[in-house]
Amino acid sequence: MGKLETMKERYDQITIPEELNFRIQQEIQKSRNQQEEKRRSDSSHRLKRVIHSVEAAAAAICILFTAALNTSPVFAKEAGQLPVIGGLARILTFRSYETEKDDIAVSVEIPTIEMITEDTGIPVDEINQEILALCNQYADEALVRAEEYRSAYMETGGTPEEWAEHKIKITVGYEIKKQNNDYLSFVVRGTENWTNANNELKYYNLDLRTGKMVTLKDLLGSDYVELVNESIKEQIAERQKSGEVFFTAEEGGFAGISEDTKFYINENNRPVIVYEQYEIAPGSSGEITFEITGGN
Amino acid sequence: MKQIFYERLIQYILENQDRFYRVAYSYTRNQEDALDVVQSAVCKALEAHESVKNADAIKTWFYRILINECLAVLKKRKRILLTSDNPGREEVYYEKSYEQDDDLEKELDRLELDVQGIIKLRFFEELSLKEISCITGLNLNTVKTKLYRGLKQLKENIQEADIWGN
Repeated sequence: MGKLETMKERYDQITIPEELNFRIQQEIQKSRNQQEEKRRSDSSHRLKRVIHSVEAAAAAICILFTAALNTSPVFAKEAGQLPVIGGLARILTFRSYETEKDDIAVSVEIPTIEMITEDTGIPVDEINQEILALCNQYADEALVRAEEYRSAYMETGGTPEEWAEHKIKITVGYEIKKQNNDYLSFVVRGTENWTNANNELKYYNLDLRTGKMVTLKDLLGSDYVELVNESIKEQIAERQKSGEVFFTAEEGGFAGISEDTKFYINENNRPVIVYEQYEIAPGSSGEITFEITGGN
Repeated sequence: MKQIFYERLIQYILENQDRFYRVAYSYTRNQEDALDVVQSAVCKALEAHESVKNADAIKTWFYRILINECLAVLKKRKRILLTSDNPGREEVYYEKSYEQDDDLEKELDRLELDVQGIIKLRFFEELSLKEISCITGLNLNTVKTKLYRGLKQLKENIQEADIWGN
């Protein structure tokens, strides 16, 4: 019955609407929130019963704790790692997985922002949704590219063993740059280890006080363009003195920042401008960063 | 333990969502309905995850929920068809499905719903007869009988359609 095979073929070709993943994510998020609520109400019931008996003790611990925070730097540092004390929000790994097929390794770690304080007005869901879509899309597209690479390799006489030697790897992950009560700054990064052409980086700089994405203008004032350009030119000149190579203007080197210039916020709450590998200097220099001091 | 199953369920859903959609679409032949079906199946599965006793049966358990959602939509549609005085509905239901000639799919849709389901699960989703028996709640022999009878009928219908077509 060849007709069944035709049917199966057509069945497999049913187009999957993009909306599907979004709707499923929605359901999962909804369910996760419910679970979280349930857990919280369970534990708060339990807590209430206990609290009566140990109220005095708890108060004493509280005082001790505050005193220790103010006196011991080590203690303060450790307390910073306790999530509730650390800030209004934090970055967590929402989902991570590793797969391997046809000797193409895929490693994905998707971050998500979790609000610790409710009602901050920050559109966390939207941002999380965007991050998730970004990560999934990158992983999917990179896999297609890797498969194309593989078939091209095989068609031109490569053997599976030789292909395996390539140790092809797709990595999607994130790095937290700054996480405190004021800012949440992190980068989501997708890379393929056989080429740099498709690397994708997206920086998120969230101002927890306003609930908005921070812009360079917010951080440096309305003259930020001149300020940053000046600073970067100075830093380039200085680094050139110590032997670093940058592209000239004709070679496509640094030509001033724009609205989409990438940056993150560092430990000192300063913006750091980022240029990807090859953007303004030879590949050997890798990623280039400029911390901008001054401004507001 | 429950927590682990919950995470595994989410993982399973995320990894197989395309398959769920195809199943739903093969029943509803309509994007909106198929999306609704998958979404509500996911919702129900997540709500009921604590009631699952055998964590290894995640696949057949989820398919059962999914198929039930599909059937529920078809039932609702039938009710609308019977009660509404808008006869255009049926046309939408069939014609919008596939771009090419969709005779084969139409023939499949003409079979009884449970037989249709068995054929789809067996040949499109490539599940084992045993899994299908778990999903449908029918015993293994019944599944077999229905499958072979369905295939025979399908063959006859298609030949008939060919005769009329040529």
